[in-house]
Amino acid sequence: MTRAALRYLPLLILAVAWEAAARLNIVSALALPPLSHVAAAWVDLVRDGDLIDNGLTSLYRLIAGFLLAVGVGGALGLAMASWRWLDAALRPLVELFYPLPKSALIPVTVLWLGFGDGSKILLIFLGCMIPVTIGAYNGARGSDHVLVWSARSMGAGRVRLLWDVVMPSALPELLNGVRTALALSFILLVSSELISSQRGFGYLIGYLGDNGSYAGMFAVVLTVAFLGFAADRLYQILMRWFLRWCE
Amino acid sequence: MVRVADHSAPAAGADGIARTPTGRLAIAARIATRSAAVVLLLVAWEIFARSGKVTPFMLPPFSAVVVRIYTDAITGVLWINLGLTLYRALAGFLIAAVAGIALGAAMSRLRPVRWFFDPIVSVGFPMPKIAFLPIVMLWLGVYDVSKIAMVVFDAIFPVVTATIAGLQAVDKELLWSARNMGAGERELMWQIALPAALPQILTGLQVALPIALIVAVIAEMAMGGYGLGGAMMGASRFADSRGVFAGIVEIAIVGYALIKGLAFIRARLLAWHQEAEERS
Amino acid sequence: MDDQAQIVIDGVTHTYRPAHGRAVLALSDVSLEVRAREFLALLGPSGCGKSTLLYLVGGFLPTEVGRILVEGRPVSAPGPDRGIVFQHFALFPWKTVRANVLYGLERQPLSRPEREQRAQAFIDLVGLGGFEESYPSQLSGGMRQRTALARTLAFDPSILLMDEPFGALDAQTRALMQTELLGIWRRTPKTVIFVTHDVQEAVYLADRVAVMSTRPGRIKTIVDTRFGDRNPSILRSKQFVEKVDEIWDLVRVEAIKAQEDTAP
Repeated sequence: MTRAALRYLPLLILAVAWEAAARLNIVSALALPPLSHVAAAWVDLVRDGDLIDNGLTSLYRLIAGFLLAVGVGGALGLAMASWRWLDAALRPLVELFYPLPKSALIPVTVLWLGFGDGSKILLIFLGCMIPVTIGAYNGARGSDHVLVWSARSMGAGRVRLLWDVVMPSALPELLNGVRTALALSFILLVSSELISSQRGFGYLIGYLGDNGSYAGMFAVVLTVAFLGFAADRLYQILMRWFLRWCE
Repeated sequence: MVRVADHSAPAAGADGIARTPTGRLAIAARIATRSAAVVLLLVAWEIFARSGKVTPFMLPPFSAVVVRIYTDAITGVLWINLGLTLYRALAGFLIAAVAGIALGAAMSRLRPVRWFFDPIVSVGFPMPKIAFLPIVMLWLGVYDVSKIAMVVFDAIFPVVTATIAGLQAVDKELLWSARNMGAGERELMWQIALPAALPQILTGLQVALPIALIVAVIAEMAMGGYGLGGAMMGASRFADSRGVFAGIVEIAIVGYALIKGLAFIRARLLAWHQEAEERS
Repeated sequence: MDDQAQIVIDGVTHTYRPAHGRAVLALSDVSLEVRAREFLALLGPSGCGKSTLLYLVGGFLPTEVGRILVEGRPVSAPGPDRGIVFQHFALFPWKTVRANVLYGLERQPLSRPEREQRAQAFIDLVGLGGFEESYPSQLSGGMRQRTALARTLAFDPSILLMDEPFGALDAQTRALMQTELLGIWRRTPKTVIFVTHDVQEAVYLADRVAVMSTRPGRIKTIVDTRFGDRNPSILRSKQFVEKVDEIWDLVRVEAIKAQEDTAP
């Protein structure tokens, strides 16, 4: 307990410094509303339902795009590793799209699907798919041929081989790719909502900022930051459980 | 005591698919198949756009996009936008690189520094920092300073964590033998520890560079004005789909060139490393 | 002992074609017969193709020239009649010791309790009772190889193919495992092909030692190495030491040749 407290003490120090700086007018309260005001604004936003409404919209977009990316991307990576012709056909395309800065897709998805949910989901799906595909592909390609042989000598057929050997072998790299995708999905969600949306966390941040209610803006920003952090931590716990057999 | 937290990053797979065959012939074959794939994709784009299945608004033909890029190049708009985006991304990246390596080194050498920054880094890394963009705009305005600050804020985390991880992994025997030969603390850091950690530090930089570009483009999109991101957003507002697709092609080329450039620098710097031999 | 040959290798030639680089003639006109319940060691310097020969018998690589018969039928694919043990264990790292051993039993016509029972019996046989729920990463090298051995013995192949199974172990563990393998082999007699480059190990374990020549691999000679009673004390007997010397002379020539081949 004390160890954890000592470890996270610096964050507390930062929070106190923030409050003090704003209260003592070292920094203009306009630019930096005191933390206590931010907390109050957060409670108000929850009570009004603004934060919940926009939050649910954002979460729906995030989860839909992310799951699509993981499902399609993972399957594509495994398929590319299993069939040579598919590998030959798709690998150059994957390599081509991999270095594309994903944010460039924001205006295109708007062009195609407008300002609503569809464009956000498509954006997250397109942006997050490639890291998952690459993770699944590299993981599956790296599976030890000796393990494959062992399973075959014990009578495993092609489908069993994919399920029993190739999938688990691919898991560590696949899960790492998914983690990258998770981080990316938050970035793409928030930035696309900041830039072009009428709902969602990003929209709410921009709206509150434009109206000068900076305490509320800070509250939503911190909420999103916390959600992104919490999602990553939760994912890591899950990942550790999945990979408990690793050295 | 204070333990260095799990900094493991949601890292973009910096190597991965890129690590395969060897030999000049294989490399030439790869370049050939890759450019063939690019050409095929562009031809497919052109045919599909002209087939009438989609409106030119949804997908303008590639040739029209090329014409657009060419026009922008002649009028000079392209070079202004390109230069500004590159300047913002690279300035932010360089500041993040220097500050990140310095902070990482300080954190791995000095207990109090580590104690203070460790929770900040481990909480800050996985956060979607782009959400802070309006706050940064509020503080620093909508010009270059705020965009560069945003890039630094996002790109510094992978550099810090990679530096710490790299320094931690330096072979104890290497440090002991250097100390045995009379090296001082300063020499130890500059001549032994940092060079030995260089492969990992460079990997951190290779993660940070695409982030820098992504964030620069987003900041430009959000704030408007010149720059590739701003131009794309402007085009999108006026339903100028050629402008949007021109932006994608330009940004894709910039992204590709930057990643390749850094990979080239890595190969140069790590000529002594075994990964260089594996490649040749 | 049954004098009928259980494994017949007849005029096998194998060319190894790497994805990048030149093709290598790994085996050239190899013929060999192995009797049922015989313990045969394939001995030779590294790179002589002895593992390749083992993989061909296992059905992991296709036989292109010549033929390989097991129980009179040509080998076409891997199957549970030929269990294999690899140098680096090839355990599924995501499965526990018990799940690893059970994996080979899943496709056997056994009820679930029978499978569990059989798995436990073989885990106990190799002395791993108490480690059933451990993952391979939590075990020492010797224990991993015991697990691999238990996994292969459990589905009861009539032939055991062993690819330098003790090559990754330290000297003490290795000696221990050799004695243990002999004990297990005595209790559950199987035909064993044991690939090794350790002369002493080959002489100690095998009934016959097939000495292979280097690149392209050929069977140089087959030496009878059956002694009265195999126990560790035999290692110091004059007869044993002389046999090791005799075979070592044969191998040394090949090892030197192999080194000259690989030198740039």
